[in-house]
Amino acid sequence: MSGALALRGARLPGGGLIGSVLAVAVWEIVARLTAQSFFIAAPSAILLHMTEHAGLLWRALGVTLWAAFRGFVWGNLAGVLMALLVVLLPRGERLISTLALLVFCLPLVATGPILRVLYGPGDGPQVTLAALAVYYTTFLPVLVGLRAAPQGWFDLVRSYGRGRMVALREVRLPAALPYLVAGLQIAAPAAFLGAMVGEFTGAERGLGVLTVRALRALDLPATWSIAVITSAVSVLAFAAVGWAGRRLDLAPPQVLLAAPGQARRSAWQGPGEALLALGVTLALWKGTMELFALPRFFAKRPEDVWAYMVSGPGAEAHRAKLFAAMGETLAFAAPGYLAGLALGAGLAVALTLAPRAAAFTMPVAIALRSIPIVATAPLIVWALGRGAAGTIAVVAVMIFFPTLVACLHGLARTPRAVLDLFEVYAAGRWRRMLGAQLPAMLPAFFASARMAIPAAILAVTTAEWLATGRGVGALMATVASTSDYGMLWSAIALIGLAAVLAHGAVVALERVVLARTNAEQLAR
Amino acid sequence: MTFRTPSRRLFLGGALTTATAGLILPRRALAQEAVNFQLSWLHSVQFGGSYIAQNKGYWSDAGLEVALQPGGPNAPVEPPVVAGTALVGISAADYTAAAVNQGAPFKIIGVAMQKNPFAIASLAENPVNSPADLVGKKIGMALANMPVLEALCSINDVDIAEIEVVPTQYDPAPLVQGQVDCLLCWATDLPVAMEIQGVESVTMLLADHGYAVHSQTYIATEDSLANRRDQLVALMKGEVMGWQDYHADPAAAAALTVEMFPDSGLDLATQELQAERQVPLMFSDLTEAEGFGWFTDETVAANVETLALLDKPVSADLWDRSILEEVHG
Amino acid sequence: MPDEPRPDIRLTGVSKSFGAPGREVPAVAPLDLRLAGGSMTALVGPSGCGKSTLLRLIAGLERPSSGEIRIGDESPDDLRKRAALSVAFQDAALLPWRTVAGNVALGRSLARRPRDAGAVSELIELVGLSGFEAQRPAELSGGMRQRAAIARAMASAPELLLLDEPFGALDELTRDRLNAELPPLWEAHGATSVLVTHSVAEAVRLSDRILVLTPRPARIAADIAVDLPRPRDAVVLGSEAFRETCGQVSAALREGQAPGRLAAQ
Ligand SMILES: Nc1ncnc2c1ncn2[C@@H]1O[C@H](COP(=O)(O)OP(=O)(O)OP(=O)(O)O)[C@@H](O)[C@H]1O
Ligand SMILES: [Mg+2]
Repeated sequence: MSGALALRGARLPGGGLIGSVLAVAVWEIVARLTAQSFFIAAPSAILLHMTEHAGLLWRALGVTLWAAFRGFVWGNLAGVLMALLVVLLPRGERLISTLALLVFCLPLVATGPILRVLYGPGDGPQVTLAALAVYYTTFLPVLVGLRAAPQGWFDLVRSYGRGRMVALREVRLPAALPYLVAGLQIAAPAAFLGAMVGEFTGAERGLGVLTVRALRALDLPATWSIAVITSAVSVLAFAAVGWAGRRLDLAPPQVLLAAPGQARRSAWQGPGEALLALGVTLALWKGTMELFALPRFFAKRPEDVWAYMVSGPGAEAHRAKLFAAMGETLAFAAPGYLAGLALGAGLAVALTLAPRAAAFTMPVAIALRSIPIVATAPLIVWALGRGAAGTIAVVAVMIFFPTLVACLHGLARTPRAVLDLFEVYAAGRWRRMLGAQLPAMLPAFFASARMAIPAAILAVTTAEWLATGRGVGALMATVASTSDYGMLWSAIALIGLAAVLAHGAVVALERVVLARTNAEQLAR
Repeated sequence: MTFRTPSRRLFLGGALTTATAGLILPRRALAQEAVNFQLSWLHSVQFGGSYIAQNKGYWSDAGLEVALQPGGPNAPVEPPVVAGTALVGISAADYTAAAVNQGAPFKIIGVAMQKNPFAIASLAENPVNSPADLVGKKIGMALANMPVLEALCSINDVDIAEIEVVPTQYDPAPLVQGQVDCLLCWATDLPVAMEIQGVESVTMLLADHGYAVHSQTYIATEDSLANRRDQLVALMKGEVMGWQDYHADPAAAAALTVEMFPDSGLDLATQELQAERQVPLMFSDLTEAEGFGWFTDETVAANVETLALLDKPVSADLWDRSILEEVHG
Repeated sequence: MPDEPRPDIRLTGVSKSFGAPGREVPAVAPLDLRLAGGSMTALVGPSGCGKSTLLRLIAGLERPSSGEIRIGDESPDDLRKRAALSVAFQDAALLPWRTVAGNVALGRSLARRPRDAGAVSELIELVGLSGFEAQRPAELSGGMRQRAAIARAMASAPELLLLDEPFGALDELTRDRLNAELPPLWEAHGATSVLVTHSVAEAVRLSDRILVLTPRPARIAADIAVDLPRPRDAVVLGSEAFRETCGQVSAALREGQAPGRLAAQ
């Protein structure tokens, strides 16, 4: 199982030592040569900063880690519970996934102030944002895992007259365990990043606070020290989850035979479910704001957005402005999305074909995912410019990691019997990849394709805010600073709508493909 | 992880009743009243006077227990003030004007920065000394500040189309790296960072070129002005006393800041430089004569004029001097 | 428990087709059938003819396309609800994360029977898996997995036992031993059993009645009563009557299958 091997590669083997030393040496030289341009801090400078400020960094790490940990626990719990809810109430799948997607789409500019007002002082927002950063990327793989069982095991449970709950306990949960590991591995760096970004909503201490401070102060060693620390923490968390997962995963991947489900969806069911999802969304939106008595000034209700965009004064101008910005955003989001997916899946395939490369690649991949984009974006922008290439790269960087991890796990779920078959004919690595592993990866790949939709939108809006100054991201940043919350919430609503539509398209494609290759995902 | 709002609301309700009671009862008899004071950025000497007020007990002596809430990149000041979770927030006249135009019931009850700190920072070899120098240059700035540049151009008859705007965030790196020719930033902020890193820069204060916008203003809601006057007066009184101490010894304020927030990653040299640089922005002949935080009808009129250029039309009654009058009276 | 006579299984007009409407593939043709309570019926027929489907219909795991199945005055679903039936699946369907003992014990716990480590290890011993209790299915041979599945099916002491080629992957010797040792157990408990097998001799040896099915869709080609005394020891197995019955079944199988035609998909 070379997929599993690639995941295991995250532990640096001894052979990587020489390479690492060499890399650090090159890094040091490059940093010294470019010292005047304030891009790269030399390893020696980073080390010096870390030792000089060890106390400060430790305390900050402790604060952020504690918030990240709680967010990690809550977020993953929420993700798992939602996935359980979907398998127990299959009819609610559309509704639950839509709500999960929409909440994940909420940008920080909107959630930040609301959370700060809701929680008051303290680290509530940090914990919540960490949780919000992880629940969705756990929900989807776990849902795939809960369905990754052959029909026969469910028949067994049914033959004793036992119901969904027993099937859940005896079959689905154990089957989902490897997929939960994938979700948790994706979540580890994301929770940490979420907690850091949460500190942007007003905090006294933590690594996020230090990041903002260091960036502003042009303090490269500080910025890079924090980046090194966040990367190290994330790599360690990733490896720890993987290690625990390997302890727990007692079942080799099975051939998951399931008869294709009979699609008995009536014509009105699609639109009906969509309408229901819309209604529930609006009700929750309004209900939450009313429940917490959030002032209308910054917590716009659905009817406020309607007035702003459709019926109120200046609606036409508002619409024109927002749609123009949205057009620009989508023009970058779509290629970035595809590039990120291709990169993630491609890398997963490459690492499975050449597992040795994982030792070097995985830590870099994790680091890219765990350093706040406000810190990495300048580097990317410097390398690729403020135009399309830079933006698309930012998006790709944000989404390739979850795709990579999910796909690696998916590849590792190739049934042993199928691998043996290819072994019998001494089929080459490529043959095996195409014939056995890629099909096994498909459910995980589609789960990533779904996860990547909101991630791509968030990434592109972040890039617009930080680098290009165009599109919805820039618009939201501007209107948030001028208290134009009507426009902000209209933008959020439109982003949510776009995400739901894109999600619908991916799901439609998924159904067509998985019906042929992985019917167990659709059967129940 | 429970939402704290209900209890917070209850608690605030309680604070409100005690405040009303305070009108009748002698204040000294009251226990400490807790209020939140929302700052506009992470802790730094930018709020040095407030730290002094807290450290020397200027607020607790007046029966007020003030919690200083730091801001951040995604922590706008207006929402907590509107929601009532913060009694007073540190804003700026342009932000406040925008919020008021969106229906927020704010009043400006004091002005910490008489002169707006916005500046154009450039490198000595390619300096921007006057607005006219901007023509043909690449300027790095946060997009949110676009209206600022527009106003500067229109006041000084510079064609904004001749300036190339590059969106940047937070950091001076693009200027140092040559991605841009100049930065729109605070004089007390990025130029200080550059100087500490050994990069000499030229700063041109917008306030010296007709850009009259009060900054670091104290905002409160009309509701608080009507119902929580005692608290507002006590808070502003502490502020005034704190900032007077600051004026007497900015370096001490910087040292206090670093001491009070050991986890904020503050660097004493930077804080001292910043403390020094913001003195001329906060203290003037006007404050010398009338006291810290003061504003006159004339300075307000100049603000109204600039704000109109910023497309944030306001009337002079956005400013409410009654609290300051009580404080200084 | 065994005192009470087991009710008969009655199938009236039961048929089953698969596939989308308009493109149905009939697997079981309309059948009328009555299986005596407490008896052992063997189903034989060519591969793909619908044996497993018929078994799954009786287990209530598939809905019939037409007709009705009753066990006494109960439906298969009622029986399942009472955890009164169990199935030994053709592909074993062992849960890979449970050990052999865990899988066998699952047969009890799924049927809401109290834990009984003694009963579990007895069954494991019976199917010859002693010493492998702590092994996981992936570490077993195909035949060992089947034996574990049989033990699991028996662990709940069901009233109706459905066995789908339970000895398919076993060597002659082991098969022979299980053929000898399991029936007394079933008899003692009085379970009604249905056994799918490809071995004519096994069908004759174990059952009271043999239904020979035609290629898909399954129809009954022959209904052969096995009038041999029990226990079917070496004497019985060597008897002329035994050989005769086997011949009968083989002939019916050959007849039922049109020349040169396999039950194709
Ligand atoms: N879930 C299903 N969907 C569609 N067709 C099915 C399904 N299950 C079985 N069939 C079809 O029904 C027919 C009978 O299958 P069944 O499994 O009952 O055969 P069988 O007699 O048990 O064969 P074998 O001896 O090979 O196990 C086959 O043609 C098969 O293709
Ligand atoms: Mg079969």
